[in-house]
Amino acid sequence: MIWHIIKRELYDHLNSLRFAFTTVLLIILMLINAVGYLDAHKTRSQAYQQKVSASLDKMRSNTDNLYNLVIEGPGNLYKKPSSLSFCASGGEAFIPESAQGGRATWSISSGGSSLRGIWRMSYPQSNPNLWDIMPDSTDVDWGNIISIVLSLVAILFTFDAISSEKEHGTLRLTLSNSISRGALLVSKFFAALITISIPFLIAALLNLFLLYTSGSISLEGSEWGRLGIIVFIAFLYLSIFLALGLLISSRVNHSSTSLTILLLIWTVWIVLIPSTLGSLTSGLQPTRTREEFDAQRMDPWEKLRSENGAGLNIPMLSQEIPATKGTVSWAEYLTEEATVHEELNEEHVNAQIAQVQLARSIIRVSPASSVRYGIESLAGTGFTRHVQFLEQVRRYADEFRVFLIETDRADPESPHAIGPKEGTSQKPVSFASIPKFEDHISFSGAYTAAATDILLLLLFFVVLFAGAFLSFLRVDV
Amino acid sequence: MFLVLIRRELLANLMTFRFVVAMVVTLSLVVANTVVLIADYERRLASYNTAVQQHAQKVSEAETYSEVEGKIRVDRPPNPLSIFNAGLDRRLGNSIHVRHTLVPTLWDTQSHSADNPFLNLFSSVDLVLIFQVILSLLALLFAHDAIAGEREAGTLQLTMTNPVSRPMILLAKYISAMACLILPVIMSLLLALILFSLSESILLSADDRLRIGGVLLISIIYLSVFYLIGLLISTLTRRTATALMVAMVIWSTLVLIYPSLIVFAVNRIWQTPTQLEAAYGEIEQTWERFERERMDFLERDPVEDDNTGYDILKGSGSRGGFEPSDSTTLKYFKAESRNLTQVNDDSESLVPHAKAYYQFAESLRIRAAERTGQVRQKALEQVYVRKANLAKNLMRLSPALMYDFATEAWAGTDFHSIEDFIISVQQYRQTVINYFHDKAAFSSRQWFASDQGEVDWSDLPQFSYHRADVATDVKHASGDIACLLLINVVLFMITVLIFVRQEV
Repeated sequence: MIWHIIKRELYDHLNSLRFAFTTVLLIILMLINAVGYLDAHKTRSQAYQQKVSASLDKMRSNTDNLYNLVIEGPGNLYKKPSSLSFCASGGEAFIPESAQGGRATWSISSGGSSLRGIWRMSYPQSNPNLWDIMPDSTDVDWGNIISIVLSLVAILFTFDAISSEKEHGTLRLTLSNSISRGALLVSKFFAALITISIPFLIAALLNLFLLYTSGSISLEGSEWGRLGIIVFIAFLYLSIFLALGLLISSRVNHSSTSLTILLLIWTVWIVLIPSTLGSLTSGLQPTRTREEFDAQRMDPWEKLRSENGAGLNIPMLSQEIPATKGTVSWAEYLTEEATVHEELNEEHVNAQIAQVQLARSIIRVSPASSVRYGIESLAGTGFTRHVQFLEQVRRYADEFRVFLIETDRADPESPHAIGPKEGTSQKPVSFASIPKFEDHISFSGAYTAAATDILLLLLFFVVLFAGAFLSFLRVDV
Repeated sequence: MFLVLIRRELLANLMTFRFVVAMVVTLSLVVANTVVLIADYERRLASYNTAVQQHAQKVSEAETYSEVEGKIRVDRPPNPLSIFNAGLDRRLGNSIHVRHTLVPTLWDTQSHSADNPFLNLFSSVDLVLIFQVILSLLALLFAHDAIAGEREAGTLQLTMTNPVSRPMILLAKYISAMACLILPVIMSLLLALILFSLSESILLSADDRLRIGGVLLISIIYLSVFYLIGLLISTLTRRTATALMVAMVIWSTLVLIYPSLIVFAVNRIWQTPTQLEAAYGEIEQTWERFERERMDFLERDPVEDDNTGYDILKGSGSRGGFEPSDSTTLKYFKAESRNLTQVNDDSESLVPHAKAYYQFAESLRIRAAERTGQVRQKALEQVYVRKANLAKNLMRLSPALMYDFATEAWAGTDFHSIEDFIISVQQYRQTVINYFHDKAAFSSRQWFASDQGEVDWSDLPQFSYHRADVATDVKHASGDIACLLLINVVLFMITVLIFVRQEV
């Protein structure tokens, strides 16, 4: 009997205007997505390679002297683009794509000798969007197609599932057969799910086919797996809205009332709530300002001055071995200045990250956000990925620092007081021995991150479906 | 008869469930968001105020004239009407360095340090967005069964038996439904105004009130467009369910999908032109020429053991060189600052030489900055402004976006007002240069040394920025408003024509 009903519903749906609309809309959107990202990954990868090699070239030019490396640092470190970025662009426009391990901006000179700050890692604060005057909009990626269009379609297919049968009196007829109410609801649910999944899968496959055959993306096993999970998330999300539609439809007597309520719920829940909560939470955890941060940076400078009295000046530097007290204290100062600068910078970024994480967890009351975040983490784009990148940069910075110290230690002609020119080795360094930064996209964390979102979506689904089920059991026919 | 019809329609609309829902949803969304947005505005205002103070403080720390390089920084105050339409007010940078070596453009804006740039990941909300999404939806929900519903129920025939013309029926429906729809808009705006007056930090001028009135007016015109779209659909379809479905398709396309598609397409298709590279090359050449001319000067007037001009005078103090090179924003210039706290005795005889050198070099720098400024402005125009304008013009095919742009202009948060700010910063830069000239700063000892007294910055002219007056902003919005009105008239006429010739 269930199959009968599913079949009947299916035929009904497939012949309807809304099915045609859904098919056309999904195919158009997915095609536009494919065309838009046709050579996006290729150009992005090329640009990445170029930038990385430019950065390495710059590093190579500094290898004739260890001191140069101490001043210039490892150069810019870049984030590797993900091949699944067509699934979720992840707010690229707002997230910096590099971290800079470069020279300090200050130098002091006195009586012919000079001193300059050593390299430090810094994370760009400004976002590339600061001068983007394009109108606000959402990107046409899988994440948005799923979160906005699929949910709207789900509502359009279920708003009259029960209420119109009630209006026409066919519900009574159906229930006079030997079928339980639960089975009827389940079969309506599956009929709608199957109907929507047909155009969705066709559009998605068309999209992948275009991207794949044009050679713009090369997908490996794990990527297919992740795409599979993304499609699963899409179905789960679709189910949430099917259940919501059934719930409302069973509660009201007129289809037009049902659609009115559903549309308003949808606009508020999907379109408006994420934005409202996003700006609301930004006020919850204010971050420290750059100026406070600058004020703190001055501390080691003051400390050094007071410890060494006024007598400390640059001519105290010498190349004697072992290093003189003056050289050592300058070396200590330079190292500390760079470390403090870096630590404060890191603290600042961490505070900003914490603020965003808080907003992201609150914003998940809207399943649209859960879906976007889940897809982002699987596609290897977006904020989680950026945090991962920063983590790797941090590890690399330590590695590079250790390398500098060890190389200096290996030079018998150096006073081993890294920082001032006089205290540092002047020997050339072999380029091959310098540790290089390579960004890895690791998905072990991504799966865990996505699992949270999947569980959340599952929870929404269970609650709404149970609601629909209970309410349908109690409906007066 | 006409009045009777209006009264009937009005009562019928007011009694419906959807009117209650419209009222509750609009009011609660507007109130909740106004509270959030006011808090956000207050935060931005506080951040602006501290920034202004800190930046003033920084200037006074400079001991020599050249040390002020990179320390004069001006800020753009947040616009209270960004609560209505955030536009570019919140997103774009709100602080610019003023230096004689660079003409500031949009590319040089930075954000206040207290702002977290990552928060831009969350799309921002404003009252216009709520109206844009919710009001259009409500208008369609009110309109979809206006004719189709009566036709289904058979009451249309009954109405027609009375001595009333068909256009009059449509007009009566239009007027009464609009009255019902305007009610939640006006009430929510009034509530928002009450919340405004409760907040101490928001001071609305008479101009601002006029602007808010304008936003209300445009909102009503926008509402009417969508009501008429719904009415047209309702006349064309036989069944309310079909009418509703078609209305939803049109709504989701116009309001949600189409704008994103346009921005996406323009972003992908518009290749970053090669003009940028050429312009960067030109800028580099300008500064190379600067360097050559500077060297020529030093050759003509040589100093012993210094042929770079960096250390003409010996002594102790600090020296800074700043040479950013960013080819994506064409930011390339050469700046120097110098503060000698003590000049060695044997260098004292070179002071007149140093003065002559700096006067020459700095005016050369200003000329180079102005030349590169023009190149940058042109490139910015070609790369960013044209692209944004293309996208905006294409987006105007959707009335929802027309509404957005018109209110943006009324609120003074559109690109024009950002441009105004940049222009006033450019003027301020000129004022600062004139101030330096008046003080003969470039040729003074205080340009490079503070050993004979620090610079007194107390009479440095202050930066002030005033938003353009309402009339200018209205002019920017007038095109969109006229278009919206035209759409209204055309839609109504089409509906009348179709309805008059239709079988009941």
